[in-house]
Amino acid sequence: VLEEYDGRVRLVFKDRPLAMHTLARPAHEAARCAGAAGKYWPYHDRLFAAQPAFRRADLLAYAGELGLDRDAFAKCLDERRFASDVERDIEQAQALGINSTPTFLINGQLVIGATSLEEFRSIIDKALQERR
Amino acid sequence: VYYSSIGMVLALLVLTCSPATSRALAQVELTWSPSMVKGAAGAPVTIVEFSDYQ
Repeated sequence: VLEEYDGRVRLVFKDRPLAMHTLARPAHEAARCAGAAGKYWPYHDRLFAAQPAFRRADLLAYAGELGLDRDAFAKCLDERRFASDVERDIEQAQALGINSTPTFLINGQLVIGATSLEEFRSIIDKALQERR
Repeated sequence: VYYSSIGMVLALLVLTCSPATSRALAQVELTWSPSMVKGAAGAPVTIVEFSDYQ
């Protein structure tokens, strides 16, 4: 979608680790540690490719694969430096009644679940028309 | 929904609903880290994805 609608669509990723997924929260915090080192999206993609291998050793290994400083990354992870940021995303999701993933807001329109590309195109095209 | 990035309010949409969900949303200010955004800052359409890595 980002390639197809280049310049007209942007994507914001929000953390919504579900309580039942016990390994998810450290993974979300790790991604933010990678983001602080300028590698948020590569790490994000690595996590999705590797799920659910999210033990501490796994998270450190992915950081190493991406050329991140392992010691600095481990410190960030162990200090839980971004725990409150992840929690803030969860609180915002809960305030919106978002309790399943993935859930999308497309210019404010709620889209729940893994939606087809055609459906995304339809909603985006309508949003673009409304902005003209 | 207020979209906000580090203190800057970008848009205001309240009580939106989709045909698929037909559910009104609460009024909530959303904040995000610039590192967790892909695409042009001035893009007319913003997709906010709430997701879980696991």
